[in-house]
Amino acid sequence: MSSVTQLRSPSRLAIFLVNLLNPAAYGAFVAGFCFDVIYFTTQEIFWIKGASWLNFFGLLFAILPRLINLYQVWVSHSVSPLLAARRSFWLNALAIIVAIFNAFVHSRDAWGVMPAGLVLSGVTVALLVLAVLNDALSTPRQQQETL
Amino acid sequence: MINRQCSMLILCALLAGCDNSESTTIAEQIGPHPKLDKASAFLLPPISVPSKVDWAQGQTPHPSAGLKIESIAQGLAHPRMVYRLPNNDILVAESNAPGSEAVTTPKQLISGLVKKDSGKGGKGGNRITLLRKDAAGHWQKYPFILNLNSPFGMMLLGQSLYVADADALLVFPYQTGDTAIDATQGKRLADLPSTINHHWTKSLTASPDGRHLYVGIGSNSNITENGLEAEYRRAAILEIDRQSGASRIYASGLRNPTGVAFDPATQQLWTIVNERDEIGANLVPDYLTQVKEGAFYGWPYSYYGQHVDRRVQPPAPDKVASAVAPDYALSSHVAPLGIQFAQGSHLPGFGQDGLFISEHGSWNRKPLNGYRVSYVQFSQGKPVGQPRTVVDGFVSDDQKTIFGAPVGLTLDNQGALIIADDVGNQVWRVSAAP
Repeated sequence: MSSVTQLRSPSRLAIFLVNLLNPAAYGAFVAGFCFDVIYFTTQEIFWIKGASWLNFFGLLFAILPRLINLYQVWVSHSVSPLLAARRSFWLNALAIIVAIFNAFVHSRDAWGVMPAGLVLSGVTVALLVLAVLNDALSTPRQQQETL
Repeated sequence: MINRQCSMLILCALLAGCDNSESTTIAEQIGPHPKLDKASAFLLPPISVPSKVDWAQGQTPHPSAGLKIESIAQGLAHPRMVYRLPNNDILVAESNAPGSEAVTTPKQLISGLVKKDSGKGGKGGNRITLLRKDAAGHWQKYPFILNLNSPFGMMLLGQSLYVADADALLVFPYQTGDTAIDATQGKRLADLPSTINHHWTKSLTASPDGRHLYVGIGSNSNITENGLEAEYRRAAILEIDRQSGASRIYASGLRNPTGVAFDPATQQLWTIVNERDEIGANLVPDYLTQVKEGAFYGWPYSYYGQHVDRRVQPPAPDKVASAVAPDYALSSHVAPLGIQFAQGSHLPGFGQDGLFISEHGSWNRKPLNGYRVSYVQFSQGKPVGQPRTVVDGFVSDDQKTIFGAPVGLTLDNQGALIIADDVGNQVWRVSAAP
């Protein structure tokens, strides 16, 4: 556990911002995926317009926590430099890249979004779920409350 | 890691699907049987608009050989349509979108900003201005009808001046020589479809016997992205009884019929239509067509007959089967906004039996297409050959700067072509060079 003692603790502001915004982004992407599924099955325009906005706001909320995470993992080493932290970083980063492509796909009109938009929404959510799973499996229980 | 590879594969597949390179030449997309590319989806939304720069003093569009051009009005507020009265006064409808379309997608936020930069988003005057040539040969401006709602089509029948606002067909009393009409004298002859008003222009003409008015109503979306229920009485030409105001759909499936006119030679109704976007730089060609009563021209389900647009769900195979192909393609994204039959024109090099079309110009393809006024020759009542340029030079040679864009067309009593320019905010007059 020697590496743990060398860690600099992340700033309280960073913890606050990540805890505030990360769930909002996650929720927006999950809801966007649900809306895509409903549009795919009902072909009702309302849902695909909603899905575009959810993906859009998901990206907006995700910017700050991802930048903080980038800094923590690769610059300040204020989170564990273990493989798990890097894996988490990459899963999240990929999810955001896919969501950016998805925003472009969702700017197409009507059924032009389908099926690519549904696939990309699904991939985004799957990557985020894997990131959550990765965090849960790799963080020792007593540390889970602090980060 | 497997997830990563998966995502990269999907991204690559998406990128490959986005090929906007030119595979069909513009000439091949013109005429009765245009060559149509395969439809493709984009990844990055195709937006390509030059930045607006005002016309410099003395700078004009370029007329073709044997013609000259002059500016007869400047400083207008987004002049869209022009119409000549019998005494050679010229009416100019100054208008732009009524602003009734809510922003309901992230894309609308972005594209609104881009259009502003090109000058195409300028605020309209919501009025009609009258231009009259004085004894000294200068054109004077008179505020003719104020407080309109995005007026576009204009038509004088006897002493009744019909004006197609974005939401209604109005009729005003007119006496020869009037230079102003009180807007409160307008009567509402018929309501026109006005919800959302994604395509807001209401083009207007009258049957040769003066009994019916014909109003071109654009669709409420590019391709049903506002829902099919928003398309009630849209993408159609309405026939309105002049006495009662009663209306019916005369022809449908015409995505955005921005100009309607009767051929004085054959007495047949013709229209120019702006076709759908975002399935390729070379799709779908805008067109000119004779309008057959009761015919369905495809939008939204298909284009050029039976070419199905998969973006419309649920599909309608029976509608597609009944779709009529238009007469003459003008090539993709030229955005025809003005139509004027040439009978009575006096422009050396151009005949009397064709028509002039203003091509407002593309905003979503590279290289640009349109940004000119062209002439299409007719033979035995049908368009033939390639269009010829009457006026161009609305954009800089490097296509980075836009000075103007042609919209409404009319002929004055000397046979000169009058062109509304809603980006340069001027009205141009093209006539025979001395």
